[in-house]
Amino acid sequence: MTKQRVAVIGGGLAGLSATMKLCELGIEVDLFSMVPVKRSHSVCAQGGINSCNDQTRQLGDSEWKHFDDTIYGGDFLNHQPPVMEMALWAPKVIDLMDRLGVPFNRTQEGFIDRRRFGGTLYKRTAFAGATTGQQLLYGLDEQVRRWESAGMVRKFEYWDFQGPVIGADGACCGVVAQDMTSMEIRSFPADVVIIASGGPGLIYGRSTMSMMCNGAAASRCFQAGAKYGNGEFIQVHPTAIPGADKLRLMSESARGEGGRVWVPRTAHDERSPQDIPDAERYYFLEERYPEYGNLVPRDIATREIFDICVNEGLSVEKNKLCVYLDLTHISKSELDRKLGGILDIYQKFQGVDPRVNPMKIFPAVHYSMGGLWADYERTADGGLVVGSPVNQQTSIENMYAIGECDYHYHGANRLGANSLLSCIFSGLFVAPGIQTRLESMSMPASEQSSTVFEKAVEKHQKRHDDLLAREKNDDNPYQIHEELGDVMTKAATVVRRNDQLSAAYEKIDELFERAQKCGLSDSGNWTNQNVLFTKALIDMFPLARTIVKGALQRDECRGAHYKPEFAMPALESEDEAGRLQEAEKWCDKFEANNKKWLKSTVATCGADGVPELEYEDVDTSLLPPRPRLYGLVGGEIIEKVWRGRIANTSPHPAAIT
Amino acid sequence: MIKNVYGENLTSFTVKVRRQASPDSQSYWEAFNIPYQADLNVISVLQQIAKMSKNAKGESTTPVAWDCGCLEEVCGACTMVINGRVRQSCSALVDNILDENNDVLRLEPMSKFPVIRDLVVDRSRVFRALQKIKAWVPVDGYYDMGAGPKQDRKRQEQAYPLSECMSCGCCLEACPQYLKVETQRESDETDEQFEDRKNAEYDKNFVGAHAINQAMLFNSNPTGKMISGERLDALTDEGGIQICGNAQNCVAVCPKEIPLTTSIAKAGRAATIHKIKKFFDSNEK
Amino acid sequence: MDSSETNFFRKHEFLIRRLHSLSGLLPVGAYMIVHLLTNASILNGVESFQNLVYQIHSLGKILWIVEWGFIFLPLLFHAGFGVVIIMGSKSNTSQYSYVANWRYRMQRITGMVALLFIGFHVLHMHGWFHVGFWKTFAHAIGMAQFSPYNAASTAGEAMQSTILMPVFYFVGIAACVYHLANGVWTMGITWGVWTTPQAQKRATIACAGLGGFVMIVAISALVGFCTLDTDKAQEREIEMYQESVNVGRIIENEEKLSKPAQKKIKRERRRK
Repeated sequence: MTKQRVAVIGGGLAGLSATMKLCELGIEVDLFSMVPVKRSHSVCAQGGINSCNDQTRQLGDSEWKHFDDTIYGGDFLNHQPPVMEMALWAPKVIDLMDRLGVPFNRTQEGFIDRRRFGGTLYKRTAFAGATTGQQLLYGLDEQVRRWESAGMVRKFEYWDFQGPVIGADGACCGVVAQDMTSMEIRSFPADVVIIASGGPGLIYGRSTMSMMCNGAAASRCFQAGAKYGNGEFIQVHPTAIPGADKLRLMSESARGEGGRVWVPRTAHDERSPQDIPDAERYYFLEERYPEYGNLVPRDIATREIFDICVNEGLSVEKNKLCVYLDLTHISKSELDRKLGGILDIYQKFQGVDPRVNPMKIFPAVHYSMGGLWADYERTADGGLVVGSPVNQQTSIENMYAIGECDYHYHGANRLGANSLLSCIFSGLFVAPGIQTRLESMSMPASEQSSTVFEKAVEKHQKRHDDLLAREKNDDNPYQIHEELGDVMTKAATVVRRNDQLSAAYEKIDELFERAQKCGLSDSGNWTNQNVLFTKALIDMFPLARTIVKGALQRDECRGAHYKPEFAMPALESEDEAGRLQEAEKWCDKFEANNKKWLKSTVATCGADGVPELEYEDVDTSLLPPRPRLYGLVGGEIIEKVWRGRIANTSPHPAAIT
Repeated sequence: MIKNVYGENLTSFTVKVRRQASPDSQSYWEAFNIPYQADLNVISVLQQIAKMSKNAKGESTTPVAWDCGCLEEVCGACTMVINGRVRQSCSALVDNILDENNDVLRLEPMSKFPVIRDLVVDRSRVFRALQKIKAWVPVDGYYDMGAGPKQDRKRQEQAYPLSECMSCGCCLEACPQYLKVETQRESDETDEQFEDRKNAEYDKNFVGAHAINQAMLFNSNPTGKMISGERLDALTDEGGIQICGNAQNCVAVCPKEIPLTTSIAKAGRAATIHKIKKFFDSNEK
Repeated sequence: MDSSETNFFRKHEFLIRRLHSLSGLLPVGAYMIVHLLTNASILNGVESFQNLVYQIHSLGKILWIVEWGFIFLPLLFHAGFGVVIIMGSKSNTSQYSYVANWRYRMQRITGMVALLFIGFHVLHMHGWFHVGFWKTFAHAIGMAQFSPYNAASTAGEAMQSTILMPVFYFVGIAACVYHLANGVWTMGITWGVWTTPQAQKRATIACAGLGGFVMIVAISALVGFCTLDTDKAQEREIEMYQESVNVGRIIENEEKLSKPAQKKIKRERRRK
């Protein structure tokens, strides 16, 4: 019998950790990536990776609390068993990465140092300078290189995944990929295929994501029949540096150290910021949230900055949306000491010294909580069954999804420093399940009839040839991409309104029509980036539609999905009794809303890339939902009322802790 | 706003790109006119060229092929030679370059690697070098075995900068001792045969500063150092550290400011001791 | 494809390069310093210099072993392999005009200059080979000027033959001295003596000091030979020769005298 092989699509944290673990289990891997795997988008992660640890444990932390924070942060939309399992593994994941040589910052005594991150009270986050993602990725890349040297891994770098090969039985049995240099399209039999292709940031034009995060691989699986979950949940980071090419992240610590956010009271004031007197500056976060000031939670900061620019038209610049993030009132020496690294990034890319001039920043699309729908097998006590072949499997048999392109773990909103964890965890965890699956298979994919592979190649070859044969015209894919990005950014990011979403959906249809016809400026068959980009662009539409349709249908506010029309009101009554009554009503409404909307959106791709949506119950068996009340007037009372209800009705013993 | 040589506000500027359709075709220069905007970097210029697909003469042309990834200078993809100097194109700000160089932007592919197309080059040799010097920690496996050994904060502070190397290839492009290795495919070869021959050819030639630096990084790791002898054997093999000529361009052009020459000197010291010990202590022939 | 010979070089590339690095200092560089110090003794007068040359030539029949083993062969190896190294590199100071890169390039340029200069210098003074017909030929074209038993006068005449000669020697020696001083610096990195930028800066100062010192010695020697009264020197050398032979300090060998000195001695003998 020929050896069984696994194809891994994508070489970021998830793809590499899965590859390395599979090799350890004696399973050979073909690893496909559009870029050398060492250049995967995971390198961009700055902050760190979370786990409960010896120190926090003694302060009352536990894996359970990490789980709770993740679920609460995700507004209860995450299925709980996978998150529970992840939280249990988190300390082990960090230990492993430490052993692999990741240079985590150290304490005086030589232990791994920790910092505090958003959404928690504990110092859970291990970090390696300001480039934790890069360091973690390198640790895994090195191990995979080791396996490559040992002949266990074949790397196909600069190969673009075109789609899965689905056998007659409906199970996945291989992939079709295209060599981005020679443009050769080839099929690769694989007994199991793992999709670890990351997020779809490019659908939004510019985001904090890398240039290969176009979502095409996930979309191609979606179009081949895989389901897509929670597409509408897209995290927007409040502070990024707008660039003509990309939006680069500006860490939250800038505000933590006293940075003030403001705009001139006069729209597009032409004066240089230093010449604008204090009275003519609008410190809108400080005025609107006197208590929290510039340090309001991420989603609120994002919404307010968005609101001030888009709805009030007070953007600093006429042609570009941005507000000032001002650190100039702090002494240079203090800035250098505390924020040196991130200020250098600003200076490097903007050519302006943020110690002298206020930075110009704007929220940016940052992460997709949604992704390919994936399954899991839970244990009686709420974790996952180790070695179950169902864990992380998509709706197509033998096709798995891990990392950012899988919809587990982050629910409606992701906590900082949890993404690196979910990527490595899902990669490590999927491997034993795949081993079980491989052991149960009777015939390796490479011995399947060759026609299924030939047909798959034929289909993709035809698509490719048809694109090259297109007549040239005035329209071009880059223009359409820019417009798609604008539409998506306007309608489906921070503040969502049904009329805008409907209009956006129509506009997307129109852009899709154009993308089907636009001319290619390069019809050659050698390193033709033009045609590769056009294909990716066309494949962005099914996901763009899924995001917009999901957002349009979901009439509520949950995590990153915010519709002002459906926002839960603050309590208005002045007296105690009135408030209590209002709080009761509030909780009724909250419960009713959960009944309707505490559900995963599950999309199936219909003909011509039009998604059909279904809703699936969320497994909340470990922790009952409770309202997220950041900064809401009357929040304490609502919480009290809610706790009372839970105590009376909840079947969950854990809920009281 | 940038002024041109006549002191007028610059409305557009010229970008000259050294283009090449395929590995075996001739290279040529093509000029493009780009409308000036503040805050442009070289990547956004190339994006603009792709969108226009017209050169300075108004003729329609193919988009320039180039490599890029994170656009934040952490992935190492977008290395090219910009106005004669190798650097990352994402952090190359047009304003700064125009200030240095009379309003012209010249983009060329790296010269030490085979050109695939336009500004895209084949840097597989960079990663092959990492294999050669065994740039990894030889752990037993990936089961939970508890934390790694405790580590000195000082060691971490020294290791972290070395570990920031993103294999961009700047140090190699600027190195006068690192020469281009181009292997032509023979017609009767399979993919694997060609790959093997290519790698064998790479292995005979200089590994470069980045790989020497990585060897020193792993030789300083408490577990990594368990195979330090193997790494030093690789470093003193053909194409090893002995090729270094101490021009020290590597450290001057490194976008991550990695102390490459310190690593090289330390590797030199380790190699000296390793070889002497081996000569006097080893039973090998 | 590879002949076994190139395979040998490839297999031992590290050793050969390290030997190349070492040979630049020991023995080549060290010899150069001794050579220049010996020459600079001309400032003490003809006797001092001549006595040092006598001492060297007192080795007599084994002198050639020392010459080939410790000077010519290491020098040829260092120069020959140096050319191989230069061929395997591509200078780029026009693109990257950093100080260290210029030093690197200068090391190669001065290496080539030193090679040409030393080649000429050995022909000019020593004559390359002491074989009958070659010697006659070398003399005929004005080479092989140095006669060990007329050390100062023949060296002085060689230097004073044209005004360009001292200039040419100055340039040649300067190249050698730069090559040595900078070579010691790079050697320190290659062998791992100084590793950090700060240590390398300190080493640069030390190496510059070494270069300056050697250059002063070299200039002293040049000035000494250029200002020498060669006729007087020759007279004194003949006296020394005869006395030294008488007391058995040197082995009688008129071949090691210059042609005019040989003639003079013959004439004197006839008179007696």
